[in-house]
Amino acid sequence: MSSRLRVVLGFAVAAVVLFFLPTLQESLDLPRFYVIFLFTVFFWISQASSWNVLTGYSGYFSFGQGAWYGIGVYAVAVLSGKHGWSFIAAVPIGGLIALGAGLLVGLVVFRLRRLTGEIFALTTLAIAFVLAAVARITTAIDGGTGIFMTGTPIPEFLGDFTTAMYRMTLTIMLLTVLAAYLIQDSRLGWGLFAIRDDEPVAGGLGVPVFRSKMIALGVNAFFAGLMGGVWSLQLGFVTIDDVFNIRVPLFVILMTVLGGIGHWMGPVVGAVIIYTLSDRLNSAGLTDVNQVIIGALLVVLALAVKEGVYLRMRARWVTTIVTFAVVMGALTVFDVNESLISDFAMTMVVVVVVLLVPARVWRFGRNGDDGDGPPVGMDAMTEAGGS
Amino acid sequence: MSLLEVRNVYKRFGGIIALDGVSLDIEEGEILGLVGPNGSGKSTLINVLSAFYQPDGGRVTFAGEDATDLPAHRLAALGIARTYQIPRPFDTMTPRENIAVSYMFGRSRHSLAGAREAAQQWLEFTGLAKVADIPISELTLHQLKFLELARALATQPSLLLLDEVLAGLNPSEINESIEMIRRVHDQGITLLIVEHVIRVVMSLSDRLVVLDQGAVIADGPPEEVMSDPVVVTAYLGDGARGA
Repeated sequence: MSSRLRVVLGFAVAAVVLFFLPTLQESLDLPRFYVIFLFTVFFWISQASSWNVLTGYSGYFSFGQGAWYGIGVYAVAVLSGKHGWSFIAAVPIGGLIALGAGLLVGLVVFRLRRLTGEIFALTTLAIAFVLAAVARITTAIDGGTGIFMTGTPIPEFLGDFTTAMYRMTLTIMLLTVLAAYLIQDSRLGWGLFAIRDDEPVAGGLGVPVFRSKMIALGVNAFFAGLMGGVWSLQLGFVTIDDVFNIRVPLFVILMTVLGGIGHWMGPVVGAVIIYTLSDRLNSAGLTDVNQVIIGALLVVLALAVKEGVYLRMRARWVTTIVTFAVVMGALTVFDVNESLISDFAMTMVVVVVVLLVPARVWRFGRNGDDGDGPPVGMDAMTEAGGS
Repeated sequence: MSLLEVRNVYKRFGGIIALDGVSLDIEEGEILGLVGPNGSGKSTLINVLSAFYQPDGGRVTFAGEDATDLPAHRLAALGIARTYQIPRPFDTMTPRENIAVSYMFGRSRHSLAGAREAAQQWLEFTGLAKVADIPISELTLHQLKFLELARALATQPSLLLLDEVLAGLNPSEINESIEMIRRVHDQGITLLIVEHVIRVVMSLSDRLVVLDQGAVIADGPPEEVMSDPVVVTAYLGDGARGA
């Protein structure tokens, strides 16, 4: 079976399982909070994955995530919250407006050869500030008063509020991750990787650098805006300070770098770990130190696991699965924590710590059966690896 | 009509004029050697011809098409490829993958499926098959230089610009490279060779162009050009002629 087919089948299975997961919550009589937790994870997976397509693949470090996300949020808040448009119709429009804004920005910044590196990063950061200022002074958008989304009805076929949010975020998350996977495993993706490694050389070999970067930025902005549109409902009351702040760009960077930048699975793993930890720290009343702890974690991991946690997990999948099963099982059986999410958070921490220990320590005195170190080159990145 | 026509090309960096109205032709099928003292503008010319730099004036025509302001990837599509004096591999990719990228884009588009397999022919041509799947960081300079060549060839060019492929190689590696350059030429690829080692350029080239201070000072058969008093002066200074 080809690896492409295997991944696509994996997607289909994941989609079906995840779609019916909330029914488990009801039958096991677990708190509704679990579903909210899951769809928040979906939100972050989608945000981080879309950021990874631009920054991870092409190497252009973007702080623009907050801008694309914010455009989606505000497009839907204005259309549905203010003008009573159908929510389901407004969400794709939010994505398209973000796409248009992204392409407009790309048209300017990718034409200017000097806008690379840190200048590009700062330019993209400035876009969110400009948008925030525009929204604040324009009463047709916000005008500084905020917009209530609480009166916006959701189509009935999506179920109650929580179920509807779950289904919408799940769909967009799956589409984002699928897009990231398909791009990575394609001619376009390889062109982007070549741009990341050495843009002028890539151009000289025939990679259409401008077009490739525009597509990457477009994909990033579109999915960020699409998910932002859905998220306006979860926010309930949309304000400029809540939307256009540094939280979204910062979190997607943390998540992607921790999980493994440049690989489509990296942001998925990173978002799950970081959001779970962040959620547990918040619920333990550690909101203030939350970001300090996560920041420190990132520094340690960035130094110890340069390739990201995901590739380390894949290289040592036996260790990962066994550790996960044992710790998660023990925590559940002995009922250590009140919440399954706390069990999961602790388990992830243990797995990451175990993966930090070099493989040779575990293999002391015997021949390892569990791979060591990441594979070489694009084989490390693409499942379609030759050997 | 020549394959490549360069007419009155200017390039300046701040106050320094790197190319001061360069005109030259490259005929289809020939090996043209481009020589000149350090700083004479050889590398700048290659950079302009590969759209690495935009010229400040003049015109470049390739196979009858105006190529002056085309972006680099369009030149690759027309059939111009180059190598870099200091190798610039894609360092997150293996040698095979470097060549595969080049093959996928290059002169005509090919899909990712099969690109790695297609890379094999250039790996074998340049003798890199043994190191095809190891990290770039483990390659020697000699292998990196050959990878430059393999990657350029994988774009399937009609004109190949070789920027000092022999610099930094030992005598046996140089001989090996000369053999390889001849074999590239035998495939019908037109070559522009920039080289410091005069002995090598003399033996390879059908024709020599000498640059000095951004201008062409001689153009003709190698033996004739290298005995031209103007060229001798440019290389050795004024005193040399009398001595």
